Amino acid sequence: MKLAVLARPLAALAIAAALISVILLALGASPVSVFEALCEGAFGNWLVFTDTLTKSTPLLFCGLAVAIAFEGALWNIGANGQLLAGAMSAGALGQKLGGWPHAVATPALLLAGAGGGAVWGGIAGWLRARRDVNEVIGTIMLNFVAGQILSWLVHGPLIETSRAYPMSAPIAPAAEFRLYFRPSRLNLGMLLAVAMAVACYVFLYHTEKGFELRAMGRNRHATAFFGINTGALTVWAMTLSGALAGVGGASHLAAITHRLYETLSPGWGYEAIAVALIARLNPLAIVPSAVLFGALDNGAQAMQRAQGVSPVLVQVIEGLVIIILLVFDTSAWSAVRDEA
Amino acid sequence: MRQSAKGGPDDKVLAANAITKRFGRTVALAGVDFCAREGEIHALVGENGAGKSTLISIFAGRLRPDYGHVTLDGAALGAGSATAALARGIAAVYQSPMLFERMGWEENLALGGFSPQRLNLGTVVADAEALAGELGFTLPPRGVVVERRSVAERVRLEILRALSFRPRVLILDEPTSVLSPAELQPFLQLLRHLGNQGRVVILVTHKLAEALAVADRITVLRHGRVTAERQASLTNEAELARLMMGEDIALPHSTTVPSFNHLAAAVELDKVTLKSGERLILDEISLTIAAGSIVGVAGVDGNGQDELVEVMAGVRAPTSGSITVHKLDGDSRDGLAVIPQNRDVDGLILNLSLWENLLLSRSVRERLATWHGFIRRSQAAQLCQDLMRRFRIRGSGPKALAGSLSGGNRQRFVVARALALAPAAIIAHDICRGLDLSAAAELRVRLREFAAQGGAVLLISCDLEELLALCNRLYVINRGRLTEVQRELPDLVEIGLLMSGASQQ
Repeated sequence: MKLAVLARPLAALAIAAALISVILLALGASPVSVFEALCEGAFGNWLVFTDTLTKSTPLLFCGLAVAIAFEGALWNIGANGQLLAGAMSAGALGQKLGGWPHAVATPALLLAGAGGGAVWGGIAGWLRARRDVNEVIGTIMLNFVAGQILSWLVHGPLIETSRAYPMSAPIAPAAEFRLYFRPSRLNLGMLLAVAMAVACYVFLYHTEKGFELRAMGRNRHATAFFGINTGALTVWAMTLSGALAGVGGASHLAAITHRLYETLSPGWGYEAIAVALIARLNPLAIVPSAVLFGALDNGAQAMQRAQGVSPVLVQVIEGLVIIILLVFDTSAWSAVRDEA
Repeated sequence: MRQSAKGGPDDKVLAANAITKRFGRTVALAGVDFCAREGEIHALVGENGAGKSTLISIFAGRLRPDYGHVTLDGAALGAGSATAALARGIAAVYQSPMLFERMGWEENLALGGFSPQRLNLGTVVADAEALAGELGFTLPPRGVVVERRSVAERVRLEILRALSFRPRVLILDEPTSVLSPAELQPFLQLLRHLGNQGRVVILVTHKLAEALAVADRITVLRHGRVTAERQASLTNEAELARLMMGEDIALPHSTTVPSFNHLAAAVELDKVTLKSGERLILDEISLTIAAGSIVGVAGVDGNGQDELVEVMAGVRAPTSGSITVHKLDGDSRDGLAVIPQNRDVDGLILNLSLWENLLLSRSVRERLATWHGFIRRSQAAQLCQDLMRRFRIRGSGPKALAGSLSGGNRQRFVVARALALAPAAIIAHDICRGLDLSAAAELRVRLREFAAQGGAVLLISCDLEELLALCNRLYVINRGRLTEVQRELPDLVEIGLLMSGASQQ
């Protein structure tokens, strides 16, 4: 049974690869060398591999955020904004943490990130629970708002001291994450993300609250009928979801960028939706899923350098993988519909 | 009033050959042959879990058989597509109504065959009202969303919608279980009318008396196989029951009043009122349910029963009045368990496993299955296993999805869950609906046992026979108002009048 579960994603990848090969041949490039370059760029050596992991970490945090919300049938499209909200909170606080010891500054930063993201998610949750505002609209709108606030912050109140570039001053060195095995950029963030994945799994499948959330996602009526407060649960779940994305933002800031700037997130919150769906919302499966997408993102640039193929092609590959996996999941292939 | 068999063996309209269907390890149908002829009303009877719903789902194109095929007028019917079946002229109405809850009835019907080309609500309403008039139904007021209407009205709308397609074959799954006595006769007459028009009507029912009254031929299913096919005029209830069950059973006709001890009140309702805007839904309901007794509330669906259940379950707060559930001294019973009417919507989460559905019950979570917020899976699974054995629920195990159980087994599960941890009181709303004779009898025995051991039961039902067989005290609810009626030597005329709201005190 376990092997069968792996078979589908692998088969989907194989089919996607085959389709891409056809496109590449038509473009006059050699599929084998392109894929080689992709793999080299993602896993070729230790440095590159750790870089892949670095790129996967925000995807992992956001993927977990999406999964938690989706399990409750709360369509959180706002992981990006929640991540930015977390990054902004951490970025603002981080500058003030100069005198503090590392052991205090780090958790403080992460808490700030969680708090910022939690508020951002919580607003959308509240709007849904109390005002029946569709959370898809709510979270997307809040994404825009977060983006604008970030823009304002880095041009205005938080702009760095020379006032030459639209980015914030760096966070205090005490607040930065240590990097292990230099010159790689392995950091605490990855470990934290994996730990969060395990925690989310335990939460969803082994706790009462997690059960309530999954029940609400599958049948809101029955859940309410048995006295579970679905309104409160909605707000709670969106808050938790936002917090996860926010920690992702704080973590990335603390480890890699150290400053706030407008293009902090290349759309992780949206990519994370694919990451979560491919993993069928299972937090443990989201780990390899995030690494897969991180690898594709990382390999894209190497692919361009080595073969002159546009990195946009990687987005095509990702899109194809998603579509093919979804096709594999439909009832056309199995009698799933009959079991429902 | 039975019709003689029409046509010869050559005008088979709908025929099925060697149909086999499995769901995982359960064999739902094994080599079933079936045929229905021109202008015939064909009843399909059997216990719950016999395979009736599966068979008609295959006819209507909703399910694909693993083996075997279906033909309509001699031509094979493509399997697995409900729209194809509908286009060929097979329309079905199922047990759980499938309507768009947030739309009004006229919009729901517009999705039927009333306005094939252009969406003209005016003609839809006119045609629908004409058809409803023939049927003897009254349609609800326009513009009210369907989710506010009662289960009975929804089923009627579904039947209307199916008929709007002017189907060759109309399949009805337990349609009469929610009809009031006044609506039953016109409905049976309509079925005969449809048969006279040359249509085939396939009626799935467990009510043998109705099947005999209206059908031409009856097919009996048992554990996925056809045990017999009979002309209605040549058989009787006892024989059909025997064929269904495999043994002689006594039809429940007892109306003895079960004895009970006058213990303290277990549940008290004091002037419970519920208003929604201007509308008075519950009107100063005062009721005392003593421990060890079964109190019945009779009434036609839509008179406040749903809301009463919601208020007692704590899902809805009453506008005024109070509900108290007493815990008797020295008694470990606690709490109120509710068995809702619409089990698939309010009672179960079909996409979760059975042991997870158990966790919905607050008492299961609080008293057994959780430890500081963590779920104790083995405890819950064990309880589930026990319940499945005690209540004879057929399914592959605690990990089976609730949706994989047949309707009757789902009902057994919902009742089992309610009884699982000895609640002080149970509120049961229409629990025997759609169940066959032996399953219904079994359920009633459980309720009696529960009461005999000191529990309190509030039984809300539109089945007067059931209420008279079980209850110590009887009320009638009409427009949110309760009126008690005499339980010894009940005056059925008076009860009927109260139920229809004719006599107001």
